[in-house]
Amino acid sequence: MKSDFYKYLSVTGIMLIMVAAETLAAPSVKSGKLIVEKNCAGCHVAGVMGAPKIGDKADWSKRAEQGVKLLISHSLNGFNNMPAKGGNSALSVTDVVNAVAYLLDVSGVKADLSKIKVKSAKTVAKNKTADAQKSKAGTPATTTKSIKVAKAKKVNKKTNVNKFNRLMKSKSEWNPPPAEDGIHDPDNEGTYALQTPKESFADMASNPFGNHIDWVKALNKNQIEPRFDRLDPNKKPFVLDLNIVREVKGSMPDVVYPHKQHTEWLDCSNCHPAIFIPKKGANQISMASILMGEKCGVCHGKVAFPVSECRRCHSKNKTKK
Amino acid sequence: MKNSNTNSYDALKAVFFVVFILTFALANSAKAEYADIVINEYSDKAGMRPAVFPHWFHRIRFRCKVCHADLGFKFQAGGNDINMLKIIDGQYCGACHNGEIAWSVENCNLCHSGKPGTPTQVHDSTIQKLVSPTGK
Repeated sequence: MKSDFYKYLSVTGIMLIMVAAETLAAPSVKSGKLIVEKNCAGCHVAGVMGAPKIGDKADWSKRAEQGVKLLISHSLNGFNNMPAKGGNSALSVTDVVNAVAYLLDVSGVKADLSKIKVKSAKTVAKNKTADAQKSKAGTPATTTKSIKVAKAKKVNKKTNVNKFNRLMKSKSEWNPPPAEDGIHDPDNEGTYALQTPKESFADMASNPFGNHIDWVKALNKNQIEPRFDRLDPNKKPFVLDLNIVREVKGSMPDVVYPHKQHTEWLDCSNCHPAIFIPKKGANQISMASILMGEKCGVCHGKVAFPVSECRRCHSKNKTKK
Repeated sequence: MKNSNTNSYDALKAVFFVVFILTFALANSAKAEYADIVINEYSDKAGMRPAVFPHWFHRIRFRCKVCHADLGFKFQAGGNDINMLKIIDGQYCGACHNGEIAWSVENCNLCHSGKPGTPTQVHDSTIQKLVSPTGK
C-alpha cells in the first residue's frame, strides 16, 4: 500500500516535471517562430548569401557543433553576411535566443535545445537590467560582452539625455525623406525624384539644430562648393574679415558679429543699408525683434542657424571689472 | 465663495485642455527640413500643388548672394511676386531653371510637390513655432 503511494507520487512528480519543462521550453520556441517569420525568413528560407536554410539539418547541426553560445553570439553581433540581430536592432537578446532556439528546433537539431534553454535563461537574467534600461531609454538593449556593443551603449546614453523633452526630435527623426516630411505630397511622383536631405548631408559637418548641418564648417572644409556666381563656378566672394563686438545687457556674453562668415555667403547689399545701417551704434537690436524675424532674425531662425544656438553669437565672455 | 472656486476650477480645466491640444498640434506638426519654403500664392487656386523651395538643396550648390542679391529674391516667403510667366521669361527661378543650369519648367511636379492646401510658410522657422504653428 505504502509503495503504491510512493509509486503514484513519483509518477505525478515526473509528470509535473515534464509539464513544467514543456511550458518552460514551449514559449521560447513558439515566440521564436514569430520572430523568425518576421525577421529571419527573408534570408534563411532561400539561403540568401550562404545563410543556412531553415530545415537544413546538416547545415544547422554543423553550426550547432561549434557551440550554441557562438551561434547566438553570431546572431547577436553579426557574422560574415549575417547582420547583427538579423538587421533588426529593435529585437531583444531574448528574442534572438528564441529565434535561434526555433531555427534549431525546426531544422531537427534537438541535441542543443536544452543547452539553449539554460543559456537563454542565463542571458535573460543577465540582461534583465539592460532590458529595463532599454525600455526607459527607448533604445535596443545589448548584452553581449563585446566592446563594440558597450561603446554603442555609451553613445545611446549620451544622445538620450534630452529624451524627456518630447518636442526635441531624436536623431533618427532628423532629415526625413520628402515624402514623409509633412509638407510634400506623397502622391506626387516628383516628390521622390530629387536627392534626399540625408543623402546630401552624409559627408557634411553635423550640428544639433536647423538642418542638422553646420553650413559654415561644411563650406570651410570644402565639403560643399556652392557657386558665388550663377554662371561662373570660379568666381570667388569678396570676404571682409572684420568682427563687430556688441556689448549686451545682463550676464549674457557679448555678441561677436563676424563679417567673414557672412560675406562668404552673402553680398554687402543683402544687409546694408536696408537691415543694418553700416555705422557702429546706429542699430537697435533686441532678441525680441530677432525672434519676430527682424534684424539678425531675417535669416537666423529661418534659414541660417536658429536662435536656439545662443553661444554661437553670444560668444565673448564678459571681463570682470 | 463656492462659485468663484468652481469658476477657477473651470478655468484650470480650460487651460489644461488648451495645453493638451497644443502639445498634440506640435507633436503632429510636419518635420520637413529647416528653411523649406512652401509657396502657395496662386497654386491652390490654379489647381496645382503648392511649390516647395528647399533652401538646403540650393545652399549646397549656390551661395545666398546668387539668388538674394543677383536675382532679387526678397528675404520673405510670399514676398516675391513669382508666377510661371516670369519664370519662363527668365526671371526668379527661371534664371537657372531654364534647361541650361538646372532642369526646366516642363518638370512641373519637381517644384509643385507640396501637399495641396499647405499655406505659404518658412517651415520650422522661429516665427512659425512661436506665433503660428502650422503644418499638418
